[in-house]
Formats: sequence, C-alpha cells, structure tokens
Amino acid sequence: MDGFNSFLGALSAMVTSWAIIDVVWATLLGIVVGMLPGLTATLGVALMTTLTFKMGTDQAILILVCMYVGAIYGGSRSAILLNIPGTPANAATSLDGYPLARAGKAGSAMAIATTGSMFGGLVGMVALAFIAPVLAEFALSFGAYEFFWLAVFGVLVAGQLTSLDDPIKGWIAGFLGLFVAMIGREGIHGVPRFSYGSTDLAGGIGLLPAMVGAFGFAEILTVMRQEAYSVVHSRVDSIWGGIRESYKYKMTALRSGLIGTFMGLIPGVGEDMGSWASYAAARQASKNKDEFGKGSVEGLLAAETGNNAAVPGALIPVLTLGVPGSAPAAVLLAAMVIHGIRPGPLIMIESPDFVFSVVAMVFLATIAMGVLGLLLTRPLIMVLRVARERLMPIIFVLCTVGAFAIASRTFDVWIMVFFGIFGFVLRELKYPMAPLILGIVLGDILDKSLRRGLVLSDGDFGAFFVRPISMVLWVSALGFILLTMPSVRKMFTRLFNRDQADKQS
Amino acid sequence: MKPTQMDRLDFVSSIVLTIFGIAILVESLRMPRLENLKVNQFTVPGIVPGVLGLLLAVCGFAILVRSVKRGGWRLGITGQDTAAWVTSAPVQRSAATLGLTLLYALVLFPHVPFNFSTPLFVFAFVVTAEAMALGRWPKWQAMVTGLILAVLAGLIIGYVFQQLFFVRLPGG
Repeated sequence: MDGFNSFLGALSAMVTSWAIIDVVWATLLGIVVGMLPGLTATLGVALMTTLTFKMGTDQAILILVCMYVGAIYGGSRSAILLNIPGTPANAATSLDGYPLARAGKAGSAMAIATTGSMFGGLVGMVALAFIAPVLAEFALSFGAYEFFWLAVFGVLVAGQLTSLDDPIKGWIAGFLGLFVAMIGREGIHGVPRFSYGSTDLAGGIGLLPAMVGAFGFAEILTVMRQEAYSVVHSRVDSIWGGIRESYKYKMTALRSGLIGTFMGLIPGVGEDMGSWASYAAARQASKNKDEFGKGSVEGLLAAETGNNAAVPGALIPVLTLGVPGSAPAAVLLAAMVIHGIRPGPLIMIESPDFVFSVVAMVFLATIAMGVLGLLLTRPLIMVLRVARERLMPIIFVLCTVGAFAIASRTFDVWIMVFFGIFGFVLRELKYPMAPLILGIVLGDILDKSLRRGLVLSDGDFGAFFVRPISMVLWVSALGFILLTMPSVRKMFTRLFNRDQADKQS
Repeated sequence: MKPTQMDRLDFVSSIVLTIFGIAILVESLRMPRLENLKVNQFTVPGIVPGVLGLLLAVCGFAILVRSVKRGGWRLGITGQDTAAWVTSAPVQRSAATLGLTLLYALVLFPHVPFNFSTPLFVFAFVVTAEAMALGRWPKWQAMVTGLILAVLAGLIIGYVFQQLFFVRLPGG
C-alpha cells in the first residue's frame, strides 16, 4: 500500500501542463523513430540524451522514458505494414501482423498491437513498482563476489540469448565490450591501460558516443546497403474490431506481460527476447497453433505485449543494481548518471522518490502511447513514406553533433565513427550488439569486483563460489553455458525421454 | 560439404580475433605490477584485461577450428568474383555512404563552419543516394527539394544545439 501511495504521490507531483506536453511530443517522436526502419529505440534514446542533458533531471528522464516506450511500440507499425520490424524487438510482430495486414485487416492488427503494448507496459509497470524496492533492499547484501558474478552472468546470458544460433559469437561480443571498458585509467590505482600516451584514451571510451555509433551510424550503413523498402499503400480497416478481439485473449496477454517483464529483468536480454519468448509461449499454449505465422491474433498480441512489458522490466535492474536489462536501458542508465542519479542498491536510501517517479513516467508514457497509437492510426502511416535517402543524412548529422555535444570533444566523434564501422562489420559477421554494450557498462564493475574480491579473500578464488547468492549466480551461468553444448542437451533429452518412457511403462 | 559464405568470413575474422586476443594478453602481461608501491598482487591492473585477452583468443580459436572443419579455409576468391562483388549495387551504396559520412565527420564537421558544412553534406548525400537508386541524376524538382531539406536541416540542428543547448560547435 505504501508503494501505491508513493506512486500516486509521484504521479500527482509530475502531472503539470508542461509535463503533459513533454509526454505527448516525446512519445509521438518515439513512435515515429520506432516506425522508421533503421532507427531503433536505442538510437532514439541515445540521440535524445544528447538533446536533453541540459534539462532538469525529472524532465529529461521523463522524455527519455517516453521515447523508449514509444519507440518499442512504434516498431510494430512497420512490422505490420511493411513486414520490416521497425526495431529488432518487433521481429516476432511481423510474423502475424503482416499476414493480417495483407488480408485487409491492417487497422485491426494495429489496434491489437496497441492494446497488447499498452497492457504489457502496465503489467511491467506494476512489476517495477513492486519488485524494484524489494530487489534494491536485497541488493544491499551484495558484495564484491556477488557483483562479479552478476557481471559474468549478465554478459554470458545476454551473449547466449541474443545469439541463439551461435552463442560463442554472443560471448565474444560481450568480451569485446568488457575489453572496451578496460581502456583508460583504471579505478583502483589510476594506471592508464591501452591508452599509449593519449590523454583522450586515458579518459576512457564514453558509453554514449559508442552507442550512437554502434546503433546509429552502423544502422545507417546497414540500411543504405539494403534495397529500398517499397512505399505502403495499405487499406486500413476499423480499429475497434481489433480491440474487441484482443479482449478474447486476456490470459495470453497476462502471460505475455509476465514473461516480457521477466525477460526484461535479465541483464542485457531486453525487449527482443521478451517478444520472442512470449510468442513461443503463446504458441505452445494455443488451441490454434496452425494459425501462428499466418495471421494469428494471439501471436501478434503476445509479441507486442511481451516487448512492451520488457521496457519497465529492463528498468528494474537499472534502478536497483546499476545493470541494464536492455540496450536502450543502458543509455537510460548513462543518462541517469549524467543527471546526478546513482542507480544501484543504495537508490532506495539516497533517492527513494525517484524509483516511484520512474514508475509514474512509465505509466504516463504507456497511456500516451495507447491514446496516440489509436487516434493517429492513419496519419502515422504517412511517416513510412519518408525516403531513406532523405532521412539518413539528417540522422548522421544528429549522430555526429550528438556525440560531440556530450563533452564538446572531437575525440567522441571519432569514437562514434569507429564504433559505427566496427558495429557494421560485427553485424555483417552475425555478432549481436547488445552484449557488446552490456560489456562496456559492466566492465568497470567486473574489474573492480574481481580485484577487490581477491584482496578480501587473500587470493583464494574459492571464496567467490561459496556465498549463497554467488552460488546461485555462478551455477546459473554455468548451466547456461552447458546447455549450449549439443552433447549436454542430448543427454538431458535422453534422460527426459527415458523418464517419460518409464512412467508410461 | 560446401562451405558457406559465413564459414569463409568466420575463417578470416577468427584469425584476426585470435591474434587480437593474444595481443591483449601480451599487453596485459606488460602492464605495471606496481611492486615499488607494494600494492597487493591481486589488484594489479593487468589481471582482468589479461583474462579477457585469453578468453577472446580461446573463443576466436574455437571459431577458427569450426570454420576449418566446415571448409571455410577454401576461400575460393577469383578475380571475376571480386570484380562482381565490387561493382554490385549494395557494395557501391555502402562505399558511397561510408565515403560521404567519413568526409563529413572527420573533415567537414571539425574544420568547416557548421552552417555551411551540414547543408553541403546533406545535399550531397541526398543527390548521390537518389542518383544511385534511380541510375541517373534526379530531376531538378527533387534536387531543389533536397537543397531546401539540406538548408533547413543545417539551420534547425545548428539552432537547437548552439542557441538552446549552448554547445560551441567546432569548425569556426
């Protein structure tokens, strides 16, 4: 009840006429960014961070949360109308959304996606309000050993889940991210590493320029490499039928909301897996499995509920552990630090009101997303008619100026360019980006925690394995690695099959 | 089994990755141990980078072995294939995008006034990309639209960052 009162208090403090204007334009801009193929939620939040860093903390974070929520939802529009997911989180949406649009039900499909996204956002928001304070208190007992395993667990699990076909590439991306975090003066003795006399490199690699490069410039190169998408001329039916149809599958929506929130909670995994896992679970539980992939309302609803539920889910570890649940959440984490907030276990002691302010921000953004999404169904289709040849140079100018503006350093523009080309090459080689970014965020935590832990245990690495939370984390990480090995998977399948055979006999 | 394009790419990239991992390991071993400061031996700066270098080298080597098993070492590069690849539309689009963006970010943005460099870049990008998509120069109406877009983009972005956020942009 205390939590609910704190939420109402934060909401009433936040709802001013200026804040409402900020919510409307930032969410609308987020939807537009998400809709345009090639512009991801991460890029939107990163560029918006560079545009809001001179604003007050609450106003800037509100705008960023609205951009994040709007972009993840907006991606469903292009997935439904063009069969091109606007953001990677909407890939599962296109499986059923596009067949529905081709069958002349584009309006219904967009309404189902909007209803699902709104419901998912609200489920995630409730989880954020309840879990964040509890997890923050629990995390107060974390020491060097636990933080070390948390960083290892985050990189390994994110690497595996974002690269299911080839987990080793996901892990390599994570290790590369951790290495990038090693560049510059280290935090214990102040020794510069891998800087070779350069004062710029000794200052370390900034997360924002790296992310603007990896998600902005790399995306521009990827989009321009591909064939141009065709302009849509889709017939749009009534949206009300879609809302009614969504109501029929309320249990699917609830299950997807919970799965999406849980996937958001896991470091670095985020909205993409939130969507896929919810879609897979809905298919498993559905009576009409055959319809999936051919225009299933249930499938579309599950995918969109799952990805938007992952947004507040991804904010839970950001606020309570200082570990991002997804790539856009990593930018949000960096933005909070820029604005003087210290996300981590102490947040409920240092700024307890802030957690509930974020809950209120998610609530406002979700409501705005739903209202704008339903009201502007037809006008928003116009956005998809913007030619990439005219959009991409402006995005690149924003990437360049945005990277420069954070610290007024030309060096950051070079970092943006380097990570853009590096990210493009990695994508072409099928290496995922999310573990790379998670590695950059977690590198410092891993480095300091390992060395402090070794000092505390006087070099005994065994101390890292025996504390209860450490044990849970390392056993889970090891389990994840073992499950990627075909021989171990086969062994499990055989054991499972034998058990079933015994029961049957 | 015939190797796929990805097997060949993995073969080349894993060699680079393995060498990179070994280089990180060597550099980490060369980092100061701070014995003169009598610091705890477990807090020396090279520990974590060294482990990361080792992990990258091991993972890189694992991909190398896998790609060799799948026949990725048979690169099968011929002059004809290379010529076809270089002249393909996606590669030409990528090259033009890369050239123009690098020119803007590394030369124009730091050295030429923003209000001139940005419209110039946007206009050049729009015209080049549309010309490549159409296979001929765009019509004059499209050129004028591109020019208006370029000037507006330069003015609005410049105003927002310089006047609203007080960022002193480089380039004089």
